[in-house]
Amino acid sequence: MIQPLTDEKPYTLTPGSDGLIETQTLEVSIGPQHPSTHGVFRMDCVLDGETVVALKPVMGYLHRNHEQLAEKMVWLGSMPYTDRLDYFNSMTNNWAYALAVEKLAGIKVPERAEYIRVIMSELTRLLNHTCVIGFMLQDLGAWGTPLLYAFREREKILDLFEAVSGSRMMCNYMRFGGVRVNLTDQDLVVAKDIVSRYPGFLDEFEKLLTSNEVLLARTQRVGILPKELAINASISGPVARASGVEYDVRKVDKYGVYGRFDFRVPVGDIGDVYDRYYIRVLEMRESLKILQQALRDIPQGPHIAPEVKLRNFKVPPGDGYGRIEAPKGELGFYLVSEEGGGKQPYRYHVRPPSFVNLTTLEDMCLGHKVADVVIVLGSIDIVLGEVDR
Amino acid sequence: MGFIGKGLFEGMIVTARNFVGSYFDKERMVTVQYPEERVQVPENSRTFPFLVFDDDKDPAGTMRCVACKICETDCPPQCIYIVMDRDEKGKPLQRPKAFDIDISVCMQCQICVEVCPFDAIKMDNDYEKSQYGRFDELVEHLPQLLKSNEYYNRIKPTEATGVDAKLKADKEKKAKKAAPATAVKPAAPVPKPVAPAAPKPAAAAVPAARIAIPEDAPFTPEQRQWLSGFLSGVGGSGTGVAPATALPAPTGEATAPVAEAAAPADAAPAAEAPAGGWPWHDPGLGMQQRLDLAKDTPLADKLMAAMAQTDCHACGYDCRGYADAIANGAESDLSLCLPGEAETANMLKKLMEGAGKT
Repeated sequence: MIQPLTDEKPYTLTPGSDGLIETQTLEVSIGPQHPSTHGVFRMDCVLDGETVVALKPVMGYLHRNHEQLAEKMVWLGSMPYTDRLDYFNSMTNNWAYALAVEKLAGIKVPERAEYIRVIMSELTRLLNHTCVIGFMLQDLGAWGTPLLYAFREREKILDLFEAVSGSRMMCNYMRFGGVRVNLTDQDLVVAKDIVSRYPGFLDEFEKLLTSNEVLLARTQRVGILPKELAINASISGPVARASGVEYDVRKVDKYGVYGRFDFRVPVGDIGDVYDRYYIRVLEMRESLKILQQALRDIPQGPHIAPEVKLRNFKVPPGDGYGRIEAPKGELGFYLVSEEGGGKQPYRYHVRPPSFVNLTTLEDMCLGHKVADVVIVLGSIDIVLGEVDR
Repeated sequence: MGFIGKGLFEGMIVTARNFVGSYFDKERMVTVQYPEERVQVPENSRTFPFLVFDDDKDPAGTMRCVACKICETDCPPQCIYIVMDRDEKGKPLQRPKAFDIDISVCMQCQICVEVCPFDAIKMDNDYEKSQYGRFDELVEHLPQLLKSNEYYNRIKPTEATGVDAKLKADKEKKAKKAAPATAVKPAAPVPKPVAPAAPKPAAAAVPAARIAIPEDAPFTPEQRQWLSGFLSGVGGSGTGVAPATALPAPTGEATAPVAEAAAPADAAPAAEAPAGGWPWHDPGLGMQQRLDLAKDTPLADKLMAAMAQTDCHACGYDCRGYADAIANGAESDLSLCLPGEAETANMLKKLMEGAGKT
């Protein structure tokens, strides 16, 4: 006679009250080395059959003490470390940190540097969104093809980044009061070439994806994030905009020279995975518009404020919060400079968009199949370097 | 809307076009067969730092590094380790005895290159650094780090040309400055000065081409005074006023608070050298020799003599500026001289105590 495994809830084939087979809930740990978790991230899912009934994100596997390190270092010293937060978008990370310090120290950035920053960060947005779509499709099971198309285009932008800043991904390009090296005319020609060719690639990419029946079936009405929840959980970036929250730091703050460009903020209405995919496509088209205007209007002049010292740079006491619209959402740096010190930050805090957006993962996944968890996670667009810091 | 599966079909066409296109269209054929084919890396591309030397015949003798330790201090992941070379008497030789970079720690951020005042450390673009070991093999020592200026010119032509031009201009300026000096003071490395040097060798004005500021030039008296001091420093001609105005804090303790109020903490202007240069401003001299030369001079000069004389700006000033800033109270930290190490810090403390300031 076969004995049941546990006394409390014996495994049985007797039908339950609803006429279906009664089942046990099962706790499954996805990650931290699972390829679909985009890094070292773990999800503790409680499954009833294949349906998710509870999900707990477990973070901290990639914690590297970024904030504490920065508090022990001169201001410039943590600039290369910000590259490693969201390692897809080092240019925007640099900008957010430089912006916070500039606010605190009252540094005026030259005109050309502002334009260079806009060009670099919009190119970053292009490559981030392209790759995110590629990764999301990879999570759906479209192994390789869309992702490698995305990588092919991304590589062209990274080549430009390498030619300008010296490194493909760890750019370390922005400095307090400007950027490290000026853009040459040759670089501008390359940037213009990328911008002129990108719409063609986007059209092709969309033909591959946007009306694909498999993609529609897997993404529509999956992982809905209601507008109220998005606001209450302070979600930002494309995830919030897909849920209908019209909020873009570029429009709200008009930091840098964003006030001068003519562009629109696409907003979704349902807030499902498909909306989050499509909002990124639309955002890329708007980024291209900004890039065209920036490349047309970029003035001549110095690329860095001459009064900023590289060494022995001191920041007057006070606190400041600099934020930008990074490709993943609102990226902010909160910095405190101490009275009588000023050589290094007294407090250094990062507000990472990936981390905040990840907090609503459970709400989006409840009631869906475990296979959908993976694409919901993919559609939030996280980078674990930024989540754990 | 079309038939069911139209989206899928269109997607298939895109894939097919990419697949077939990759045989004909270079745009779609992006893979590079690496060990056989190589992509030309851009000029700005960076991997790990190396040290530049000028003459192929004598790499160790002509390296630009003076072991000032700025890069060691500023390196964010702290991957640089420097020991200054000294002769048997303990006199610093202004070159590194050991210079190690742990490339398994280095994060290729280029900050060492940016902060180096001597253009001695530059970024390589050699990306083939694989080794058979994980520990000692990944620490680069001085012989591996030293690479010629010619190599630097080859990998980064634009940047290197600019650096060469700048160094040449600096050298010419220095030579111009030093030219009248030889007439006044004995050749630099002579260990014993014949007599205690005059407090202001510059005061013995050297007859030289005099750069006069026209009477009708639109300057305020302060600007005029500063300019004449500046010109005397650059052109090597003494106008008489220059050395006196160049030193913000003359001698007496009583004037110190006034000077402190006058000198902003961060923007201490670099004082110009008197025409002959300061006799102790020579990194080849030992600490005692430098102090002997500055024996009967004001406190600021003595403080300056205690420094390493490399003008490396590690403290945020040149040697003159740091001494002045300490003397007039604008700078209270006595341990900022990196190349001078503990020797300078201790001597500065001693001098300040001797002068009754703590």
